[in-house]
Amino acid sequence: MKKLYLLLALVLCFGVKGQDTSSTFQRQAAQNYMSVKPGKSKFMMRGYYHSGLEKEKNGSESTSNFTPGSIAPILMYKQSDKLFFEAEFEGEFGSDGKFEWGMEYADMSYMLNKYATVRAGKFILPFGTFMEKLHPAWINRLSTKPLGIGHDGIIPTSDVGVEVRGASYFGSLKLNYQAYVVNGPQLKDGAEEEDEAGMLNFGDRPDNNNDKTIGGRLGIMPFSNSMMEIGFSGLTGKVGSDGSSYENVRANLYAIDFSFVKNIDMISSVVDIKAQYNYAKIGNASFVDTEDSTEAFYTFNNSSNTYYTQLSIRPSLLNNNFLRKLEFVVRYSELETPEGALWEQSPTQLAIGVNYWIDWRTAIKLGYQTTDGLGGGHDAVTEATQDVYYIHWAMGF
Amino acid sequence: MKKIRFISIITVLVIAAVTVISSCKTSAIVEAKSGAQIWGETCVRCHNSASPEVFSDVEWDVADMHMKIRANLTEEEAKKVLEFLQSAN
Repeated sequence: MKKLYLLLALVLCFGVKGQDTSSTFQRQAAQNYMSVKPGKSKFMMRGYYHSGLEKEKNGSESTSNFTPGSIAPILMYKQSDKLFFEAEFEGEFGSDGKFEWGMEYADMSYMLNKYATVRAGKFILPFGTFMEKLHPAWINRLSTKPLGIGHDGIIPTSDVGVEVRGASYFGSLKLNYQAYVVNGPQLKDGAEEEDEAGMLNFGDRPDNNNDKTIGGRLGIMPFSNSMMEIGFSGLTGKVGSDGSSYENVRANLYAIDFSFVKNIDMISSVVDIKAQYNYAKIGNASFVDTEDSTEAFYTFNNSSNTYYTQLSIRPSLLNNNFLRKLEFVVRYSELETPEGALWEQSPTQLAIGVNYWIDWRTAIKLGYQTTDGLGGGHDAVTEATQDVYYIHWAMGF
Repeated sequence: MKKIRFISIITVLVIAAVTVISSCKTSAIVEAKSGAQIWGETCVRCHNSASPEVFSDVEWDVADMHMKIRANLTEEEAKKVLEFLQSAN
């Protein structure tokens, strides 16, 4: 009998202890869950990095370099279902060998309603699609940008202001729009760089006049599967500095972009076609000719245009694991800057490449690019050809 | 005669307005799209599609809002894509 009481006491004892241990475990698990349960504010850091080996040949001169490339961390912060912040910084070595950071964009967005989002701050302008959507190293199928597009190009990159954007369906047709007011580009008068007189500066300094630049883009996707998009962009504003002889000079810029992406079963591949045509017209202005001993003024019809077309084919529907990671790219672009300007050029460029995708956001890019018709300017037109061979590695993270 | 012309113009305008407004409705094909289908069609327009398991639920929530803005997704599209990615990761 005593043994029975002892056994009962032991069972009760362990039962209580077990229950206690179990509830402690549950309590701890609940506490742990609460400590990692996401709040409404959520943060994420992403970005991309690229570098590579390049061999450049200009006429009879050739150089080869491991290029340090650049790193671009992107901060994304979802404050609530309505508010969002994002910023991208780009760090790279300048031509003087010093490492420099730049702010590509930093803006906050507010979801106004189903059809409109307001963005404010510094943002990449939706002028065409290359700069806003395709330029990051892990997205760009080649390691270079098309002629006339980029930081020294003839079309805008980013600017400071306010934008409204959104999208809606009309039956099976999808429309997306962006409309913005920004500081706008600024006319270079040649005081800092005389051979750049008449070019535009985009978005990296305080506004030089009280006139704000307005612009926008309308994108049309005619098919329900979104495989094709045609976009129309425009931008207009005064570009001369207040109080200067250029204060009434205005710039009008236009672009048409095209995108077609489709799985083609017949060749077991994804075919991606991109194209963009850009036209920039800047009002008449006269600039001092510093090359002339009398410092006479000169003027020119300040209109430029550039375009590119790109085709990439990735046989990602093949069964072979190696082949499905390859991608073949070809791009052709042309640039025509004003005749009579010190920066007059009319180069053409052909770029071809083969990419090997290690994963969806990491690629090794092997490429060749040849550019004809470089050099020139004003009345000293010269012809030059530049050939670049490269192997780059780009990673999105 | 003026009255007939006025009525004709009003009728044409009403028909045009009704056509435009009714066409604003999203088509049944688009409405029937799943999150997986939208994900498959949309990401690849600019870059390779990310596998759902690449990010956590929280990260997808942030990435989805980023792409809603950048890629001009409608509210419905962004919602469906997020639900798909969070259920398949």
